[in-house]
Amino acid sequence: MLEKYTYVLVVFVLALNALISIYGIVYRRSLVKKLIALTILSDTVFISIILVGFTLTHPLVPPVYTSMEAPETEFLVKHASDPLPQALVLTGIVIGLAVNALIAFGIIQAYRLSGTTDARKLIKPLVEEVSE
Amino acid sequence: MTKRTLILLALLVASIISPLVVVNFTPIDIPRAMRELGRYYVVNTIRDTASPEAVAAVVWDYRGLDTVYETVVLYLAIVGGLAVFRLSKAPSMQVVIGLTVLSRTATKIIILLISSISAAIVLHGHLTPGGGFPGGSALAVTSMLIVPVFSVHSIIERGITSTRLIAIRGLALTALGLVALLPVFRGLELVTNQRFYPARVGFITVSGSISLYNLFEFFAVASGFTAVALYLSIPEEWYKERFSEHGG
Repeated sequence: MLEKYTYVLVVFVLALNALISIYGIVYRRSLVKKLIALTILSDTVFISIILVGFTLTHPLVPPVYTSMEAPETEFLVKHASDPLPQALVLTGIVIGLAVNALIAFGIIQAYRLSGTTDARKLIKPLVEEVSE
Repeated sequence: MTKRTLILLALLVASIISPLVVVNFTPIDIPRAMRELGRYYVVNTIRDTASPEAVAAVVWDYRGLDTVYETVVLYLAIVGGLAVFRLSKAPSMQVVIGLTVLSRTATKIIILLISSISAAIVLHGHLTPGGGFPGGSALAVTSMLIVPVFSVHSIIERGITSTRLIAIRGLALTALGLVALLPVFRGLELVTNQRFYPARVGFITVSGSISLYNLFEFFAVASGFTAVALYLSIPEEWYKERFSEHGG
């Protein structure tokens, strides 16, 4: 019962986390805060992918062979966590880090050129240009 | 209390209470056995890839093609970042004192530890959890430690310029591409592992191409992120001078 509650609680808290970070991306003015919200959102997604591979067993071990004998395979099938979500998340983290670095470069450059990271102030000259 | 705090509190309370409802009134259950696909990877990893670590096997063998293209994304994202911050010459040297002797000595010891641990993470990447990317990011952390404690100029003075780092990164990625491409010349598929590369060298398990990929990915990630750290820690004033020279 408690296990089931904790599992569902994690799902709900992840959903809450995603909600708050989407709010941050959409409504925060500062580009830096938008980037922070984006990293929180990507981490939330990674944890949900890891949660897909979670199985309720004891002990829970990483999918790594420590000996080459046959009982080891049976033990791992029963007690290891699913390797596929972990591998996908590893890939996702790499791409996320690279893209975050790219966005950080862009934000710093915007700050250097216009002296602000406020998205609404940054877009003002563009809006005026279009209305002219 | 503002309206926003109230909404947040309400959401928090709802997300704590609603699982109780879900658990009591729906037949939802926690998975107790591994799914079929995951089971295949765990059972066959040693036979298919010669790697006792199933995650490394999925990353560089079963899903190897995905990871090679992901490395391309990593490469392009950093190229994009460096294109925004393009530099035609290294910033002029300034005498920067850095922090006290105590923190300098402690940092030197920590850098030694981080370097050896990152080497262990990479070289054991096909046997234990770890691999090229975690090892490379661990090594890139050293530059982020050196910058506040010793200053960015102490890195550039020792010949670790961003141009050289980008060159190392390009070489590492070329080598990684070659490891993926070589089996094609023997009529095998792209990113083939066990039918082309040996599982063991002498008595050491190398898991075919997995350890090679890990090694090159390590160099690519470490040099790429160190270059990013160097670019990000070049002083603001220096950029302002450059902007005024070139008229923005």
